[in-house]
Amino acid sequence: MIAEADDRNPLAQLLRTANETMLGRSLQFDSASGPSLTLDVSGRRVLRLTAAIGLAGTETCLGIEVLEDEHKDNLIKLLQAVAAPHHELRVTSGPIGRGGEVVSVGLPVALLADLVLIDLNDLASDDGFSEPEVEPSEPEPQTMVPAPVLPSADGLASFAETVGPELVAWLVVGGDDHGRNSGPEEMVSHLQGFLDDERDSVERQLDALSAEPGGPICVTLGATLIDGHSILCARLRSDVLLGVVEGDGTNATLTAWRSVLS
Amino acid sequence: MGVNESLSAVVKAFPQARLVAFADLSSRMILSSAGKLSTTQEHLDRLCDQARASFDDPLFSLSVDAFGEPHSAVIMGPENLRVFLRSDTEPADALCCICDHSIDLAAFVAKIRDTLESITHGG
Repeated sequence: MIAEADDRNPLAQLLRTANETMLGRSLQFDSASGPSLTLDVSGRRVLRLTAAIGLAGTETCLGIEVLEDEHKDNLIKLLQAVAAPHHELRVTSGPIGRGGEVVSVGLPVALLADLVLIDLNDLASDDGFSEPEVEPSEPEPQTMVPAPVLPSADGLASFAETVGPELVAWLVVGGDDHGRNSGPEEMVSHLQGFLDDERDSVERQLDALSAEPGGPICVTLGATLIDGHSILCARLRSDVLLGVVEGDGTNATLTAWRSVLS
Repeated sequence: MGVNESLSAVVKAFPQARLVAFADLSSRMILSSAGKLSTTQEHLDRLCDQARASFDDPLFSLSVDAFGEPHSAVIMGPENLRVFLRSDTEPADALCCICDHSIDLAAFVAKIRDTLESITHGG
């Protein structure tokens, strides 16, 4: 559930959910007031409207192969209708449909947010609504907070953190850094699912590329490696990292790799 | 500018590029190469095989599902790095490069992209 019944601006939550969707996904938004709307989203862009229930005016957007600028006003009206204030809003994520791999088209979520004056990064206020009064609560009992688990200094988690913000999501499996991750939950979950299914195949592919089976290696795979998104896959000892790079991460990745090897 | 001249221009612009080769991935053949790295035919064949492996499953399918078909790959090993670039329009045409870790990778990738475009379209 992305918006509670007392939420005055579920549209902001809808847009933030879409904005956090980097890998191609189908997002179905269901309002407790009845309407439902399903979008294909990828790379922070709304690609198409694939389903709509209980909403008027869908004919302008529904069935369009890829949404363009001329569709944005009507799409916003549909989003506003499904994200009705003071009604719960739920999202269900599923695999993207046809054409999901194309991310250079569609409507940027940031553009849609600008048009409705929503700051995608501002969680404190939405459209100037004031924060509801919060009753002071009883002080929390003191609890011991375990010390944070630091990445091993020469491990893949350290490598990932050294790459920097271009590495927008990553996950490590195996070794001391097993389970360490960063990035939007949906992206990390997708990477986890992929490794759960394909770990052995990934290892074999890395063996084909490394100097020796099981050897250290880092692979970046993308359309141009300079813009758009790329896949980053690295192996060090028995650990494997899988991640998503946004924009030009070439030199940052190379610098981080040299650091972890030194 | 012919293929040989184009590859030589890359090596001249980037001394850290030890080998720049133009390949036909479908036939697994290196058609032309430039650079200071001494290589055997076996090494060149292996380079071609690695280029094909770079654009293979499962990582290829992951990329397609997420962002689209990949045309560029960088493989960083402990000793050097390899850069493989496929043509957008002729996917069997590729540049296969072996570089030092000290290379300006972003600039190099941009350069060889222009070079491959030029070679593929006969410019």
